[in-house]
Amino acid sequence: MYSQKRALILGDGAAGTILANKLRFLTNKNELEIVVIGNSKKHYFKPDGVQIPFGLLDYRKSVKNSEFLFNAGVKYIQDEVVRIDVDQRFVTVKSGKSYSYDYLAIATGDRLTPEDVPGYEGEAKHFYNLQAALSLKEDLAKFNGGDIVIGQASPEIQCPPAPYEFTFLLDHYFRKRGIRNKINIHYTYPLNRVFTMPQVAVFVDKLFQERGIITHTMFNVETVDPKNKVVNSLEGESVKYDMLILVPPHRGQKVITDSGLAGESGYIDVDRHKLNYGKYDDVFVIGDATNLPVSKAGAAAHFQSGYLSHHIASEVGGAVYEDDYNGECACYTITGVNEAISLWFSYEKNAKANFKSKLDYIFKWTSADTYFSGMVRGIM
Amino acid sequence: MAEEVKPTKVIDARGSFCPGPLMELIKGYKQAKVGDVISLYSSDNGTKVDAPAWIKKSGNELIGVYDRDGYVEIVLKKVR
Ligand SMILES: Cc1cc2nc3c(=O)[nH]c(=O)nc-3n(C[C@H](O)[C@H](O)[C@H](O)COP(=O)(O)OP(=O)(O)OC[C@H]3O[C@@H](n4cnc5c(N)ncnc54)[C@H](O)[C@@H]3O)c2cc1C
Repeated sequence: MYSQKRALILGDGAAGTILANKLRFLTNKNELEIVVIGNSKKHYFKPDGVQIPFGLLDYRKSVKNSEFLFNAGVKYIQDEVVRIDVDQRFVTVKSGKSYSYDYLAIATGDRLTPEDVPGYEGEAKHFYNLQAALSLKEDLAKFNGGDIVIGQASPEIQCPPAPYEFTFLLDHYFRKRGIRNKINIHYTYPLNRVFTMPQVAVFVDKLFQERGIITHTMFNVETVDPKNKVVNSLEGESVKYDMLILVPPHRGQKVITDSGLAGESGYIDVDRHKLNYGKYDDVFVIGDATNLPVSKAGAAAHFQSGYLSHHIASEVGGAVYEDDYNGECACYTITGVNEAISLWFSYEKNAKANFKSKLDYIFKWTSADTYFSGMVRGIM
Repeated sequence: MAEEVKPTKVIDARGSFCPGPLMELIKGYKQAKVGDVISLYSSDNGTKVDAPAWIKKSGNELIGVYDRDGYVEIVLKKVR
């Protein structure tokens, strides 16, 4: 006789959807019920946001209905999680219902909090959600000369390479329009180099120099001054702009802080190798919701979902899963149109960038197709 | 000596390449309060140069850089 257990997954983005679908392949319905609660309606492939403002991709191929992305046998509930009680082992949603669980996986990602930087709202532009990326496309089309500052408003953001990818495309875009000589592109970065991984930073910096991009390092955004059109850093530097493109600050979801699972940052501390929360061996966190020292990336969410699906499936089958998650992540990052570099890293392995190639660009350009047809489905 | 100054917050960035120890430090710094003493553990040797440089540029106080068993500890006081 089977006694059916329940895996409750919170969040219907990259991490939650991949985990649910992988877990469905690895377990049968009699032993494990898989329930996903999410409030997204549409599943947007965020990496395309780097290319959409330049008209390089049609955004319609970057968006699918969330409900169609779950494999048969996964129960999907569209609602908003408003409370998570890991001691009493239940979760409450906005419509009032509560759900108990045997395994809980929190995959609620994070949110953009432009209000954290004084002066940001109504002044700075970005490409970190679909609406902002589409509106930036219109703003760029109207921009004919002056200083553009591109950077990130907080040290921790989703997809750390996205600002440099965007900068390369910005350079290409204005060259194509024949007005690159009328524009100064300023790139700011929080560390004393242009990217967090030292060897990749050298590679990117060389390309920046070749393309005339002005860099401001050790620049942690403190305030934006819309009146004087300057952005100020906590290190005391100010840069003037005509257009300011700043990735907004991020925090974890409010429900995480409200439920006492994390402080004001909203990111949950988890065991780096087992991905469980605190003393709880039935509560796991994956994707951008964690405070792990790994990139906040769909690629990391993919590796974590792979690890966790095997961990839970083994336990459901009565075995102990001995393997560990090792911080692995692999991604393609754009360095121009028709060129990209691939990065592969883990907790113990630093990424290296040795060459750029068209093939890597093609992988990046088609990645929404690979993502929706294979990765999200739990096939890859 | 670090032993005498009890950190308000410890950031253990050992075995972390991305975002990397300095990014972890800045992230933790932003969440801390003025007066807090932050201790960073890093297994990456580059942090010994990077972190003090950033602490100086950001106008904070470097309390010390200490070689520990297989890692380096950097202690700073948030003054602004
Ligand atoms: C511009 C840009 C470019 C990027 N490029 C890359 C790239 O090239 N490579 C890469 O690997 N990654 C990239 N990323 C990062 C990647 O998209 C994210 O890391 C990934 O989406 C994280 O997955 P997640 O499931 O943790 O979070 P999300 O995908 O954000 O999903 C979280 C889900 O939880 C739901 N949710 C939140 N709160 C609640 C609640 N209270 N109740 C119910 N549901 C809730 C949300 O609706 C959402 O569907 C990029 C991101 C951006 C913005």
